[in-house]
Amino acid sequence: MKNFSKIILAITIAAIAAWLLPWCYAFVTAKAYSSPFVLYSSLHGDFIITQRDNVVSRHDTNGNEFDENEVDSLLPTMYMRQLVADGRFPDSILGKHVEPQQIQMTNFNFRSTPRDVNYVNAGIYFLFESMPKRVDLEMPDDAFRFTDNRIEFLSMADNSINEAKSDMFTRMLKEKGFTFPPRKIATNPDPRKEYDNGALLIDASGQLFNLKCTAGRPYVKQIPLPDGIIPCEAYVTEFRNRAYLGFFSATDKSFYVIMSDGSIKKTGIKTFDPKTESAMIIGNMFDWTVKITRTDADEYYALRADDFSLIKELKINRPSSYVPGLSFTSPLNKYVIPHF
Amino acid sequence: MTPIIECVNLTHYYGKRLIYENLSFNVPEGRILGLLGKNGTGKTTTINILSGYLKPHSGECRIFGSDIFSMPPTMRRDIGLLLEGHVQYQFMNINQIEKFYSAFFPGQWCRDAYYGLMEKLKVSPRQMISRMSNGQRSQVALGLILAQNPKLLILDDFSLGLDPGYRRLFVEYLREYATAGNKTVFLTSHIIQDMERLIDDCIIMDYGKILIQMPVKELLNGIRRYTCNIAEGYEPELGDKFYHPGVIGNRMETYSFLELNEVETELKKRNVPYSTLKAEKIGLEDAFIGLTGKY
Amino acid sequence: MIKAIFFKEWIKTRWCFFIALVVTTGMAGYSILKINKLVSLKGAGHLWEVAVTRDALFIDMLEYVPLIVGIVLAVVQFAPEMQRKCLKLTLHLPCSQKRMIFSMLAAGLTLLLTCFIVNFGVLYACLPAIFPSQLVWRFTLSAFPWYLAGVASYLMASWIILEPTWKMRIVDITISIFVISIYFLAPAPEAYNSFLPYLTIYTFMLIVLSWISVSRFKSGKQD
Repeated sequence: MKNFSKIILAITIAAIAAWLLPWCYAFVTAKAYSSPFVLYSSLHGDFIITQRDNVVSRHDTNGNEFDENEVDSLLPTMYMRQLVADGRFPDSILGKHVEPQQIQMTNFNFRSTPRDVNYVNAGIYFLFESMPKRVDLEMPDDAFRFTDNRIEFLSMADNSINEAKSDMFTRMLKEKGFTFPPRKIATNPDPRKEYDNGALLIDASGQLFNLKCTAGRPYVKQIPLPDGIIPCEAYVTEFRNRAYLGFFSATDKSFYVIMSDGSIKKTGIKTFDPKTESAMIIGNMFDWTVKITRTDADEYYALRADDFSLIKELKINRPSSYVPGLSFTSPLNKYVIPHF
Repeated sequence: MTPIIECVNLTHYYGKRLIYENLSFNVPEGRILGLLGKNGTGKTTTINILSGYLKPHSGECRIFGSDIFSMPPTMRRDIGLLLEGHVQYQFMNINQIEKFYSAFFPGQWCRDAYYGLMEKLKVSPRQMISRMSNGQRSQVALGLILAQNPKLLILDDFSLGLDPGYRRLFVEYLREYATAGNKTVFLTSHIIQDMERLIDDCIIMDYGKILIQMPVKELLNGIRRYTCNIAEGYEPELGDKFYHPGVIGNRMETYSFLELNEVETELKKRNVPYSTLKAEKIGLEDAFIGLTGKY
Repeated sequence: MIKAIFFKEWIKTRWCFFIALVVTTGMAGYSILKINKLVSLKGAGHLWEVAVTRDALFIDMLEYVPLIVGIVLAVVQFAPEMQRKCLKLTLHLPCSQKRMIFSMLAAGLTLLLTCFIVNFGVLYACLPAIFPSQLVWRFTLSAFPWYLAGVASYLMASWIILEPTWKMRIVDITISIFVISIYFLAPAPEAYNSFLPYLTIYTFMLIVLSWISVSRFKSGKQD
């Protein structure tokens, strides 16, 4: 018994040491690293890299230096407000007449981090009324959940199942070929959004569906997928330009845009695994700059805004701050589990 | 017949400080043995080893023929343990503590022995032990040991914190109990007068060793205090048959197991300039001081 | 014999147990009251929404309660044993010393778990009226590590109190602080789900640590 106790104590001490010593080492030796701000300029045809270390430097991939004003002009969609304030906003960009308002409407930001994906979901979701009588969206007074064979709407005021609505939606989903239970449910439960795209569902057979509630009735649309493409993560976007339903990433690490009409377009992003990598997209009416943060490097892709084809790519290595050791939490997920 | 307690070659250190080396002694059945020694000679160390709460650096200790550190738990039924200061569970009252202990000694528990003693205490049965005087507490501890009715009792400084009345009461109960039931007792006390009334044998310890182990009667019959007049400033060199000779003014005092005529022969042999040599019989306390010295 | 051991532990801990029961149940009840008040002020929908979108648990005030209860119970149960080395009396009883120590710990754990189960009982009696099973389950699983921390704090505090020397106690306390912190790392609700089975096993294995202290006590270690 004494030996067994000592083994338990020894394991405990070893685990604490393996946990804390690397942490202390990393804490002491950590160097500040600020990753540069990189945006593609369609006007210049290259990435503009803004590095903020001790001094700010702005340059392209060929080493051409720019000053602040030049960068504003090269990235008019990003620095529109500055250009307007300076009276430097152009009438047209790349031969296309543009108004600042148009820029505002078409600019968007998108982020996905592994922590957004790797966590335990509550299993309760909200479906807005997509065609509300009032202009503003309102939080619904019910929530929904999935069981193994149906969707259930729960009235929140008295925590009871709305059988009629549940049956209606279940029937509609089944009619449209939906296989219960879903693998993924993506929604955007933010009542301040301007409009509602409903929910994106990946069903048990790997098919992608769009579910909406319009005038209290179910609207279900299957998103047609190319052969062999199995979505693993879906995102409802609801950007102001209303051009897209959302995005999805597939098991083969490809990344797709779901257009508002339900058609899909593959993007020029080489690979993206939402479970282990972060993605950031800064989009405008001409191009998208996509940043994929991998373990040892940041990769940047410039995509055309119309067909999402690849224009240019850039890889910037990051110094690794990896110290082997035991850890209970991870920047890649919201779980607590020991791992090396 | 195997002795009840058998300690062989006990050696113990605290850190680097040697307490004793190769200490061996036996306690035969039916004897009451007192361990005497000045502070720091290892009385508590010995009690702790005997009660199983100190692993000696080396050596072996057996009780009822079985090694203390590997003895089966049931053997402890026959060993009564009194901690220094009569420590008992403070959070229990008289009834609760009896109820608790009795469960561990089925078939041997003498409930009446305990409650007989408690009746004399004039405390309520629901009185918490924490709210009792030292004397009352000693009676609870004694009562529990008497009720346990063990073959061997190990008592650590039973007189600590007790007034003379309770000390006397304790000694008398214990003496009666031990002699009537042929029990073996191993005890220490810092009040030697109490021991004199109680013990059959004594072990007197000096730093690092046992000075003597013998029946008290034999000790008191044999040992004498010798006093004589002597020239002032004389430095005695009397050899190892005399214990702690000391000179104060023109009087010399020493202790020895020798008879008066043997002492005279020894002194003359060493040309000690003495006169008016006197021998006295002494009590245990004086014998203890004589054998161990005042310092 | 076991009955007698439980009897002694009960005498030591009964007041602490009743107070812990009243306080923790009171706090669980207070959490429920607060939730009901929020429901009447803002509607249940608002609570569902913040639970889903902002990871609210509503019972956060219970987070460190089991931890404190565990420590207090260990102190109340084992400090009297160490007072003037009373443990010598306990270990001298004609009962296997292992059986003695582990029965004492089992007695303490029984009281602790009773208290915790009553807590969960209160939550389970009230939460399903307001929240769907998914959210009730989510709150429960999120709170589970806190209650495991209560068990761990009880077992580790017992280990520390039974340790005979102050020098080792300081070492033990340091180790315990790090171990206990493992139960409070959750970055999100239900973060421990896949770790919980292992953490539960580990937590209850901490019971053996006390035997190290008792062995040291028996071999006479002291400051």
